[in-house]
Amino acid sequence: MIDAQQAALVGLILLPLASGAAAFLLGPGRGAGLCIASQAAALFFALQLADSVLAGDIARHRIGGWGAPLGIDLTADGLAAAMLLLTQAVALPLALYARAYFRPDSAEVRYFWPLFGLLLAGLNALFVSTDLFNLYVTLELVGLAAVGLVGIGGGALQIAAALRYLFATLLGSGAYLLGVALIYGAYGSVAVASLTPLVAAEAPTLVGLAAGLMLLGLLLKTALFPCHYWLPPAHGGAAAPVSALLSALVVKASFYLILRLWLGPLAPLTASHPLLPWLPALLGAGAILWGSWQAIRAPRLKTMIAYSTVAQLGYLFLIFPLLGTPGGRAAGILHAVAHGLAKAAMFTAAGVLIKATGQDRIAALAGAAQQLPLTLFAFGLAGVTLMGLPPSAGFLAKWQLLDAALGQGYWGIVLITLSGGLLAAVYVFRVLRQAFLLTSSKTTVAPVPRTLEWTAFGLAGASLLLGLRGVELVELLAVWGWE
Amino acid sequence: MKRFGIGGAALLLALALGYAMLELGPARLDLRPAVAAHLADSGVRHPVTAVLLNYRGYDTLLEVAVLLLALFAILAVTPPGPARRPAPADPLLQMLARLAVPLMLVASFYLLWAGAFRPGGAFQAGAVLAAALVLLHLTGQLPGWPTPGALLRGGLAAGLLVFLGVAAALLIEGSLLQYPPAWAGRLILLIEFCLTGSLGLILAGLFLFLCQAEGERR
Repeated sequence: MIDAQQAALVGLILLPLASGAAAFLLGPGRGAGLCIASQAAALFFALQLADSVLAGDIARHRIGGWGAPLGIDLTADGLAAAMLLLTQAVALPLALYARAYFRPDSAEVRYFWPLFGLLLAGLNALFVSTDLFNLYVTLELVGLAAVGLVGIGGGALQIAAALRYLFATLLGSGAYLLGVALIYGAYGSVAVASLTPLVAAEAPTLVGLAAGLMLLGLLLKTALFPCHYWLPPAHGGAAAPVSALLSALVVKASFYLILRLWLGPLAPLTASHPLLPWLPALLGAGAILWGSWQAIRAPRLKTMIAYSTVAQLGYLFLIFPLLGTPGGRAAGILHAVAHGLAKAAMFTAAGVLIKATGQDRIAALAGAAQQLPLTLFAFGLAGVTLMGLPPSAGFLAKWQLLDAALGQGYWGIVLITLSGGLLAAVYVFRVLRQAFLLTSSKTTVAPVPRTLEWTAFGLAGASLLLGLRGVELVELLAVWGWE
Repeated sequence: MKRFGIGGAALLLALALGYAMLELGPARLDLRPAVAAHLADSGVRHPVTAVLLNYRGYDTLLEVAVLLLALFAILAVTPPGPARRPAPADPLLQMLARLAVPLMLVASFYLLWAGAFRPGGAFQAGAVLAAALVLLHLTGQLPGWPTPGALLRGGLAAGLLVFLGVAAALLIEGSLLQYPPAWAGRLILLIEFCLTGSLGLILAGLFLFLCQAEGERR
């Protein structure tokens, strides 16, 4: 029999997989309760795992008892545990939200729960896998589930966005797979544990090419500027719970993998030239400026939030020149966690506003604050995290980033970080200002289930309060288990 | 202009790959001895099947989920509608299809059984099964599938659920998918048998569910 830690590790993959398949068996539109129960259990498992990893005990599981490189090993260190915790903490409220959001007879909800279950299984499997080919399979699970979720309902706009997303994600995973195949050709293994020493010992040109292909493919999947073209229609056009899942979690999965590869098996290559880490940082800076500018100009609420995601993803890549310092690593993951919670809150709040007012133009939001104070409060709190004001988790992430950048004397990063916060304030206040306008004519607002408002508020509150528990999170991230 | 840019980039990548391949020597690590050394305990006699269902069975489990997921995605974007029966084909074609389908079923079963000791297995067997169903549809003897009913849903998901069930049950042996050597052969056969049926239905469904939607749009 296996111990509790291993049960949590395996359960995080098997539970959502089983609940997704079972939801399909139950029939179109059914299985909400099952998926919510499974997510609640998954959250418990993730907490248990994080707790044991924080105590210094890295979770390892050898599937089939073979051990790498013959078999596949799963490992959950601090970084993986933090991402698992974020995923479950966002997915459970979103599952509750989705159940209240979709009408039971709508076309959108018919296959939502099977796709939801498999998406979560793919994400959890990705975070703990230590095998390059197995990681490819998990990437496909995540990518296809996300594409399916964008297309649910089958509206013409959704299908167009889903198709564009499908091509981008297939190109990305195709490039990754080509890289893995080349690495297998050179070393005869795809297990990270056996590859790391081999790459460090000798890396022919082919491996450099493979590394480039893998990282570029993943950058496309992460929608880093200027590869972000597919993100705004997909995230802005999907149903609100789907947008929240995609912006909060799916793009973080490929970022996580980039960070893992960069610091893990590909480290001898990425450290080969001192200017190499500045390439992602430069693109990240471009993402912050361009994404924020587009968010400020966007006429529609969800397009604005989607461009804000493009901008916020930029911060994740600003850390690459600072990865040598512990603060730099922590800043990246803290930001991924803070943005995950805040962006889920923002999209869910936007979903409430759209459902209540029946349209999503920012200009038409006047008077919404009188009718839906809780939702606007949630939107504002999420905005506080995006701007990086204390005591939010976003503040903590930016503080770590600025601290690390100042320590190294990288003034460019400091400047971009500060101006990104100001730009975020502009697009957040643009919505809030409009919503708080007092209207003489009484705006008609459709009644909205209370669950929707409260889950949005809960997510926003979590993104704010996480800042108070930041010390534990930084400690957790220090437990590193991939070398 | 854009076309030339993409073409140039593709050519550059091909040249770089070709150049890099030239200096590629033998792989540093050879896993074949390890695969052969544990073959006796793996429950099958063919190394490829041992890798797919035993050593890296977890990959296969997730790949089955990927195929089922592709079907979910197609079902999610196609509106529900009534079944469409295609126009019946030439009587000669119909008869040929009717003759071919039983042979394809036999071939599928053979591929499944052969997987234990030579190239073959559930994916190949499932593909032949799916081809038989598509052939029947193309000759007008099987209508496109509407929204799947409970029975079809059961068939589509059975492979994944049985595989998942076995994987989880084997946790009592100490880890996921850890087959006890004495039972490995029988459990792998059970998994492959269920997978063949489900993969056949899934692959056929990727075609037949879409046929239904296309009929709707006309």
